[in-house]
Amino acid sequence: MKLRVQLQCKNLHEYLRELSPEVLDRLYDHPATCLAVYRDHDECVSVLAGLRLWHSQQLQGGLQGYILNPVFKDNLRIALLGGGKAWADEGSSLGPDRHARDILSLDRYAMERWEVILQFMVGSPGAAVSQDLALLLVQAGLMKSEAGEAPYITSAGFQFLLLDTASQLWYFTLQYLNTAQSRGMELVEILSFLFQLSFSTLGRDYSVEGMSDSLLTFLQHLREFGLVFQRKVREHPLPLCQTPLPPRKSRRYYPTRLAITLAAGVTSTSSTLATPGTGDAGFIVVETNYRLYAYTDSELQIALVALFSEMLYRFPNVVVAQVTRESVQQAIANGITAQQIIHFLRTRAHPVMLKQTPVLPPTITDQIRLWELERDRLTFTEGVLYNQFLSQVDFEVLRDRAQGLGCLVWQDVAHRVLVVSPQGHSEVKRFWKRQKSNT
Amino acid sequence: MHDPAMKQFLLFLDEKMALGKKFILKDLDDTHLFILEEVVKTLQERVGEKESSSFGPDSSASRS
Repeated sequence: MKLRVQLQCKNLHEYLRELSPEVLDRLYDHPATCLAVYRDHDECVSVLAGLRLWHSQQLQGGLQGYILNPVFKDNLRIALLGGGKAWADEGSSLGPDRHARDILSLDRYAMERWEVILQFMVGSPGAAVSQDLALLLVQAGLMKSEAGEAPYITSAGFQFLLLDTASQLWYFTLQYLNTAQSRGMELVEILSFLFQLSFSTLGRDYSVEGMSDSLLTFLQHLREFGLVFQRKVREHPLPLCQTPLPPRKSRRYYPTRLAITLAAGVTSTSSTLATPGTGDAGFIVVETNYRLYAYTDSELQIALVALFSEMLYRFPNVVVAQVTRESVQQAIANGITAQQIIHFLRTRAHPVMLKQTPVLPPTITDQIRLWELERDRLTFTEGVLYNQFLSQVDFEVLRDRAQGLGCLVWQDVAHRVLVVSPQGHSEVKRFWKRQKSNT
Repeated sequence: MHDPAMKQFLLFLDEKMALGKKFILKDLDDTHLFILEEVVKTLQERVGEKESSSFGPDSSASRS
């Protein structure tokens, strides 16, 4: 049976469009949100109507008109022209930070955190994440866990690993937002905060003053994803106190590059986010003899390459692997597609490779696709067989009914044989019994 | 199936009872067969074995 779940990566306004009208209305009560949505604004009217920016209204003369959602209008005006209350306390009340972090270290921190999550998914020993995060991965369908055992990766998880960082981040955030309500968090509040983050300045610190408990929890999760940085501060124990106090989180936080580019959507950020563990340059060389050289020492990248190739040798700065029929088909059996493998190789191609056209040797890309097709020589579809109809009319009536229900899998008119999907079978059978009792 | 050759191979397996029993319930057309649900996994393995014995780039198994 062909079971393949394709990961879908939605972007910002597709997500917003799915929210209920009440949630959207409350969301627009915050200027940052309005500005973020407005920025995405080169759309046609129907999209805006879908986002509840415009309300349909009858004009004089009976024409259909649109009026701007009044809450949206007010807050957008505040956002564009100034005024209203400050979005976020800019940390100036706390004084300059003695332990200030510069942009480079923030970037590095963000990448480290994100890499730990990916390594946890791959199952690298030594990569550990909090229980909350592991639960989120399971809820997102990226990992599965049997009772009492550590979670292991699913085929959707494999596909996720081979995506570029921006897409991964967005997919993950969407999953988080979807489960927010079930965790007792206010969706509107955390979405607003997310939009607010996207407008913050990289390298600047912000204060946690005035943030609700729900938001503070959200901030902790953001910290684990690498979207913000927050120091752990150890309190000095009071002289009379016997037990040391647990480390408290600092009152200031720094948004990282990942957070700021998040709300800008998936496509525009793929060039600005570096691949974890490698910096911006590609590092894989693929030869026409199916040899693969990965110039990296990042455990994560090596684990990803190992998903679809056989490791041969390992040196301090380079790993040599072979792309074989077994290794590729094993990857495909795990749910990765040939296209994903090829995309992975192309996007991480070493600069030397980028000089040739096409970047990857056609023999290799073709062969990977052929190996995938080999597995597809046989496809299996479940079904129920109907034959031995007494007349052509009987056959056609039932065939049309199955077709109408959308469960017709296959038919042979000349021999009066048809195959119906298992889901449709009970309905078709019921229909047939009714027919027989009527005639 | 995508090709008649594959169908012939399956008919062959069925006749020779290679999977332990007959599994083809009905021959539908050149590219479709109706078979027993329980043999699906075994069948896929057998087809996979056949594929690997055909010519292709060196795999680790064939390297000496």
